[in-house]
Amino acid sequence: MGMTRVLVSIKLTYDVNQLKFEKDGTPILDACPRVMGEADKCAIEEAVKLKESGKAEEVVALTIGSTKEHQRILRDAYAMGVDKAYMVRLDSDDMATATTIAKIIASFAEKTGPYDIILLGSGASDTHSSVVGPMVASLLGYNLLANADRIEVKDSLVSITSTLEDGQYVVESPLPVVVTVTSEANQPRIPTIRDILRSKKKPIEEIEAADLEADLSRIELVEIKKFEVPRKRIKIDATSNVGEAVDKLIKELENEGVI
Amino acid sequence: MVDFEFTEDEIRFRDSVREFAQRYIEPKWIEIDEKGRIPVDLIKKMGDQGLFAIPVPEEYGGMGGSMVMTALAIEEIAYHDPAVAVAVYALLNNGWPLALALFGQEEAKMEILPKVASGDAFFGIASTEPQGGSDVAGIKTVAKKREDGKWVVNGEKTFISGVRELQELPEGGGFFLVSKTEKTGWSHKRITTFALLPKWNGKLREGWKPTLYDDIGRHGLSTGGFTLENFEIDDKYRIGDVNKGFYLVLQGFNIARILVAAATIGSGRWALDKAKEWLRTRKLFKGRPIASFEGVSFRYAELYTMLEAARYFVYKAAWMADNTYLTKSPRFKPQDLNLPVAMAKMLGPTTTTEIYTEVLKWFGAYGYTKECAAHRGWLGTFSYTIGAEGAQNIMKYIIARDTLGSDAVRNVWAEEED
Repeated sequence: MGMTRVLVSIKLTYDVNQLKFEKDGTPILDACPRVMGEADKCAIEEAVKLKESGKAEEVVALTIGSTKEHQRILRDAYAMGVDKAYMVRLDSDDMATATTIAKIIASFAEKTGPYDIILLGSGASDTHSSVVGPMVASLLGYNLLANADRIEVKDSLVSITSTLEDGQYVVESPLPVVVTVTSEANQPRIPTIRDILRSKKKPIEEIEAADLEADLSRIELVEIKKFEVPRKRIKIDATSNVGEAVDKLIKELENEGVI
Repeated sequence: MVDFEFTEDEIRFRDSVREFAQRYIEPKWIEIDEKGRIPVDLIKKMGDQGLFAIPVPEEYGGMGGSMVMTALAIEEIAYHDPAVAVAVYALLNNGWPLALALFGQEEAKMEILPKVASGDAFFGIASTEPQGGSDVAGIKTVAKKREDGKWVVNGEKTFISGVRELQELPEGGGFFLVSKTEKTGWSHKRITTFALLPKWNGKLREGWKPTLYDDIGRHGLSTGGFTLENFEIDDKYRIGDVNKGFYLVLQGFNIARILVAAATIGSGRWALDKAKEWLRTRKLFKGRPIASFEGVSFRYAELYTMLEAARYFVYKAAWMADNTYLTKSPRFKPQDLNLPVAMAKMLGPTTTTEIYTEVLKWFGAYGYTKECAAHRGWLGTFSYTIGAEGAQNIMKYIIARDTLGSDAVRNVWAEEED
């Protein structure tokens, strides 16, 4: 195997644990902190583990955006152990669609590549569209290994384990490949104070989206009509037989996919 | 004008400590308090994560951070361990190693500090004696220099944290020891300080006889005492010049007090957050949340405000410590820290004790149950209202002396020496 290069694309997402809503269900986004998503952290962790095990020689992190918060998550990626970090500046951060993001990532990979493995979180913590990874694979003509809970690389073969509703699937592909990583794949390392202080001095290279040969002409303006957190009230009568009530509750939760 | 925001690095570091504490400390804090022990593997994890010797320069194996960062770390740890055993272990293993780094000899620093930073050794403080803690000048432990240059120490220390832990750690560790020089008698001018290492390189040394006490709270961290019987200390472990130790240990206390206040504030913040959910959701008298009763919400407001005020004292004092000890261009002299540190150490623990008293009442009968767990924070932090790194009345004495003037307020350390 020659020099294996890994690209990890990370997104600045709203920290949904701190998201508050208006009475009509509209999220109050202005007051919500933004962070690197959990699945993206897992993607970085997988990439750095590949490097530490000698299966990758370079890990590059990429984010698309123009703010200091975007720089911060790249510094967090440095603190976790990536080798290089890039920020692709996009004028309209808020309105970038999944298609545009995928095109930018693909163009970036072509411009700065080749990359043998491209890792992304399987879905962003806020929007959960889960389409960017598949679109990147399609644009680049790479195979896609989606929703990886576990990744193994041996020689030039990448195999993943993916847990779906009906069981676990093991899927493999030769390089190059796009892999989307779930937030169950690992427990991302927590950078130490030394990692954090050293990451401050690492360079972040900025590229204008317009300089990539990507078709950005169709940045669609999408009107978001409504965010809704579906709520369902389940009433169980526990006054007569608690044991039966517990069984009923368990069944209802299973039906809802909660357990 | 002052910038009251933390820097990006301080926030990132605080968030990393928060994540670590959520992952490894929070799930265990009640068990630690119940079983009376911090697992050694957790201590080692904390060492690997770089949570010890944070303000100690990298050249001595420390993290090269700041006192502000250290205080942030301690506050976060205490928030996830309201009984504060882990937080106090951590603050001792940060504050006293810094004092060693500032005042110790190079050889001792290079030998001891990397092992403390890694979590393999502990380094705390041994000052208090059976006849008193606040009256440092009255200590009776005495070190005499032998012809071969070694010091031989005899005496007794009481209410010392970490007595059990250092015996269980692979390398061991010890204490910033406060001792009289050559003869006892009341004096602050005949005090020499040493790095006392009862267990070192994995071996227990002759002449150190420990005992353990049974505290009412903060069970995870041991409190004990020990006697020293002809305990030998090599001169390289002497900290500072002979007879100049009093001024050094007071500086060490200033450093540690900032972190003690940070710990109590973290625990107090937990208590207020736990109460907040209860006050908002517990409904009485036909659907009114408890928070709607002004007797409760106004008290919450007072306690929240006092806690925030105490936080500002802590971080102001930490910032001053950074600009005294961890900078190439000091803006302050060590004695400039006396007043802000005393205020932080006075306000932090007392505010937290008041918070717990109210929170337990708000919880009603539930607060009186072990399930509620708030009593663990109450008992753990109450120790710091009593004393531990400085009695409350000594803090008031320092504030009174430094504000009203030492010509009006009796200067207890200007008494005639024996």
